[in-house]
Amino acid sequence: MCGIAGLMLRNSGAIGKKLVGMLDGLQHRGPDSTGFALYRQPAADRMVMRILLKCSAETHEGKSRASKVLQILRGFGVEVLSDSYTQEHYRLEIAPVPAVKDLSYAVENQAGVEILSFGSALEIIKDVGSSLDISKRYGIEAFTGTHCIGHVRLATESIVDASRAHPFWAYGFSDVAIVHNGQITNYWKMKRRLQKTGYQFRTDNDSELIAVYLADKLDRGFSLEEVLARSVDELDGTFSFLVSTADGFGFAKDHLAAKPMVVLEKDDMVAIASEEVALNRLFPGESLDTYEPFPGAYKTWQLSTLAMSA
Amino acid sequence: MATIDAGDVGISEVNLKIRELAEKGENEIVLYNPDARHLISVGVIGKSKIKIKGSAGYFCGGLSDGPTVEIQNNAGWGVADNIMSGTVIVGKNAGAIPGVGMRGGKLVVKGNLGSRAGAMMKDGVIIGGGKANFMAGFMMMGGRLIVCGDCEGGVGQNMISGTIYVGGEIQSLGADAKFEEMEEGELEDIYQLLDEFDLPHPESFRKIVPEGKQLHYAKYERKLSPAKISVPEGPMWDKRLVEDIAVKADLGRYRVRSFGSARHIPTFDDIAFKITPEMVLSQKNPRARCRLDTVLGNKFASNPLRLKMPILIAPMSYGALSKPCKVALAKASSIAGIAINNGEGGMLPEERAAAKQMIYQCLSGRYGFSPHDMLRADAIEIYISQGAKPGLGGQLMGSKVTPEIAYLRGLPQGIDIRSPSRHPDVLGADDLIIKIQEFREVTAGRVPISLKIGAGRVNNDIKIALKDTVDFIEIDGMEGGTGASSSVVTDNVGIPSLAAIVQAMSGLDEIGCGGQLQVVQMGGIRDGVDAAKAIALGAHAVAVGTATLVAMGCTGCMTCHTGNCPRGIATQNPELVSKLEVDCAAARVASFLDSMGTEMAAIALACGVPSVHGLCRDHLVALSPQAAEITGLPLAREGDMLA
Repeated sequence: MCGIAGLMLRNSGAIGKKLVGMLDGLQHRGPDSTGFALYRQPAADRMVMRILLKCSAETHEGKSRASKVLQILRGFGVEVLSDSYTQEHYRLEIAPVPAVKDLSYAVENQAGVEILSFGSALEIIKDVGSSLDISKRYGIEAFTGTHCIGHVRLATESIVDASRAHPFWAYGFSDVAIVHNGQITNYWKMKRRLQKTGYQFRTDNDSELIAVYLADKLDRGFSLEEVLARSVDELDGTFSFLVSTADGFGFAKDHLAAKPMVVLEKDDMVAIASEEVALNRLFPGESLDTYEPFPGAYKTWQLSTLAMSA
Repeated sequence: MATIDAGDVGISEVNLKIRELAEKGENEIVLYNPDARHLISVGVIGKSKIKIKGSAGYFCGGLSDGPTVEIQNNAGWGVADNIMSGTVIVGKNAGAIPGVGMRGGKLVVKGNLGSRAGAMMKDGVIIGGGKANFMAGFMMMGGRLIVCGDCEGGVGQNMISGTIYVGGEIQSLGADAKFEEMEEGELEDIYQLLDEFDLPHPESFRKIVPEGKQLHYAKYERKLSPAKISVPEGPMWDKRLVEDIAVKADLGRYRVRSFGSARHIPTFDDIAFKITPEMVLSQKNPRARCRLDTVLGNKFASNPLRLKMPILIAPMSYGALSKPCKVALAKASSIAGIAINNGEGGMLPEERAAAKQMIYQCLSGRYGFSPHDMLRADAIEIYISQGAKPGLGGQLMGSKVTPEIAYLRGLPQGIDIRSPSRHPDVLGADDLIIKIQEFREVTAGRVPISLKIGAGRVNNDIKIALKDTVDFIEIDGMEGGTGASSSVVTDNVGIPSLAAIVQAMSGLDEIGCGGQLQVVQMGGIRDGVDAAKAIALGAHAVAVGTATLVAMGCTGCMTCHTGNCPRGIATQNPELVSKLEVDCAAARVASFLDSMGTEMAAIALACGVPSVHGLCRDHLVALSPQAAEITGLPLAREGDMLA
């Protein structure tokens, strides 16, 4: 029960600031927590890992967890380029690694922390509070990049905390993230199926399932578009969700279409939100040429083609 | 012409300005910088023309009577919801449920119509110049829906009355809808309407009307010979069960029953008050020495309910109950200084006149729902579900759907009414916030807005209600009565009030919000002692339904649904209705309510507190291990004297 928003720009721009505004426009749909998945041009020489320490980095326990993370990374032979923290959030820049999933499981299982995102383009920042609060706390507005997705949450079943805030990183797969508004009713069935193939889940939130489900399909070699097409038939319930990868972006909407979504496509950008009011935050005072996708609809955009079409 | 720049102003301020100008009779009001924000121009009464220069968000122009609203660009969900008259024109596309619950007037969308266009509309015309998304005319109850372009699947799904015309391709018809030949002059009428709004003429139209198969139960329960049973009667088999099976064998479906559940569930009888003997003996004239007065719904509303004691009369519809019964209840509520809830089916003028304070219920079917009655109400309650039948809408069998009741509800006479199980425009907690804000806009934040839920997952639901910014919540336990419901649901779905109120309190405590939302507990409250127990467990007030009917003579024969109530209470048969004398019934109910007040006061004083709101869990004990487990109260020990 929430609001979702996403934005892709042909040319890198102030996506942080724009997304903060869009989510502020949707905050009435979800006062509990807010989150941002922000993408810049993928770097060839570094990856960013964002970690939730689950206690302040200034405490003894926080410091011990952070040093444990560094120790595990060293154990994997990973070069740490830099690290920094804000409250419970620990950010590391490291030299690129191939085994994202193995490294991630090792860090989480051994250090008692949670990885919020990992990739060469993606950073996820999410916490309890409003869009404007979190922006101030973590400096979201300063972020420039190519695309982003975001979420405001009104918790209905699982508890309110940073772990269960959206976006969800598709755990183990670099640069894939989702935000979701709705409810997946075959959650337990799908979760058990994925667990049998070796995936671990960190929350009881059905949106995490979507992230892992999509990532698993991408890993099997399906295109983003094919994955979304399948999701509309294989996931049961009412949902509208957005998915983003290092260079792509898309939405899917269930057959009941009980969850709202409005799309704005322009030559140099695509913007999607639960309500048009968020799109108007990008273009105050303008009448926008938007459309509402039909039930069972899905669509993807690639950064490269968005650039070419201009 | 007046102009408003909505750019840096809150929507409430914009709406106040629009209403002020409309009341002054301003012809034309132009609104700049709407930026697709929600609830623009809701609750406007009058003939003004309002031009919105841009796009609008949810419920634009809704709950209004008379104005012409022109939206230059797109409109969000539920544009023109529940309008009584006037015209709303959308320059481009409209989101889902355009014209939901319309009761008159015109909605013209030049572009595409979102899904479920005209859901539950009762009257008026909706015109879509382009395509229509799925389930156009969903549960339509009257009026006309004209779609010039193609329609996605499920056109006319479960429509009850009214007509749909489609100029383009139709992917599929919905359940219980059928094609019908156009009559002479119908096409000309449509073209004339299209000309009025400069819309092109499709070459032809197909007409869709209700098939009517689902408007009545296929079979009704017959009077069977008394059940015989040879096995020893016990917990496994008894006469009631044998009769139940015989009836189901005859009907081939669930049984519709009334009054409420008769099976054993834990009740307030399973807990008691700890009272010291000298306290019991020392109380004289308890009403004079104990405060019962209660303010309900003052969290956001400027005019909360002010009750002489923490009791409400529970929502029971005119339809399920007779008119004299409703009026008697209203009178009794006024005498007792409390509030009555009107129940489903619109506000009965005679009931409103007799009640000093009335809670106006908004249900899924929006029968008779009107902005005028919202303004006449002292509180508005959004019904999500009912204790006796969580997850189902109300039922009213055709024998009780008289011409007057059908007219009040905007439905055909004599059908078996099965109300929708969910609101057309509230599909989640997120949409609900916007609906609540809409009601606040219409009533300018004066009256409390509450939420009523059937007790199920109370622990989660109360957290949602808190976030949805309601003034108070009503929680209805599974013991709650009903005028008609599937017996399977009445007996087996939901949790008892005893468990519900405990869950409500713990739910709020879990998120550190204890005491931040007033709870009204209903379902199974039969006297002042039950009420005092619910209050001691954390309720701010209670509501009584069935007990008030018993006070006026109901014998609990469980035949309310048939309309043959021998006491004239739950019937529309004029001969039976005439048996109920309004003033006598009102006096009996008022006297019963007064006794509840005295009981509450006596218990509070005996527990050593000067106000009924001073009662708390420390005053209670559990009488059974089961009740102790449910409530977390200690089991009664030796030495505790029980009331």
